[in-house]
Amino acid sequence: MRQADDRLKALFALDEPPARDTVFSTAVMEQVMRQRLREEVALLCAVSVVAAGVLWLVWPTLQPALVAVSQWMAPAVGAIAVAFCATMFLGGRHGPGLGLAS
Amino acid sequence: MSPASLDEVLVAAAQGGSAEAFSRLVERHQQALRAFLRRACGDWAMADDLAQETLMAAWSRIGRLKAGASVRAWLCGIGYNKHLTAVRSAGRERVRGAAYEADRQAALDAAPEDKIALDKAMSGLPSEQRACVALCLAADFSHAEAAEALDMPLGTVKSHVSRGRARLLQALGVCDEAS
Repeated sequence: MRQADDRLKALFALDEPPARDTVFSTAVMEQVMRQRLREEVALLCAVSVVAAGVLWLVWPTLQPALVAVSQWMAPAVGAIAVAFCATMFLGGRHGPGLGLAS
Repeated sequence: MSPASLDEVLVAAAQGGSAEAFSRLVERHQQALRAFLRRACGDWAMADDLAQETLMAAWSRIGRLKAGASVRAWLCGIGYNKHLTAVRSAGRERVRGAAYEADRQAALDAAPEDKIALDKAMSGLPSEQRACVALCLAADFSHAEAAEALDMPLGTVKSHVSRGRARLLQALGVCDEAS
């Protein structure tokens, strides 16, 4: 029985592909990466469409609120922007002296 | 690290989205999967197409693979279902062609007469029996592992293997005391 099975196994072994086949493995991984890219693009498109739809729906409510908030926040945002620019400028030239060393 | 535990680590990483881990799983199991499909369908070109489709499907479904499950059996199970679907759909378009068939012909030319007789006998077996023989006699799967991979009852697998083995040995002219 053992001999017969060994003979069968030896004959079946002639069908074995190589243990390492980089051409095959690379082809599979190429397909996998393509599929992944397609899925990511599809997801991004879906999210964009949904976001655009939601924005379109809430825009009549959102627009007056945004105008009101922007008028109220304009000086604060301007001050923050100036402070940020100053920090970046001084941080680059006098950073170590001001304790802003990276 | 044992092969099974390395598989577990790679599966966990692939389930977390690591394509590199999946690539290592492909490298580790492509041989077993392709050999099984070559024996199950008898057409090397088709077998390699199916193996590629199987691995693509495996990437999509890797999240469903339970911890500790045999990756080899899982892949062969997916491959077997792909094979059955391909057999059912007539006129299947072939991606690979002459080059693979030439490889196979070269292998057959170099093979002893016994191999040709074995291939002929294998092609005469019913599809389920052939898959059981390919896993249990050629690839050292246990009956239980083959039953899990092919989604068949254990008793059915045992009887397929026993009948298939008897027919193959008969085709080879081997007298077996056990049969």
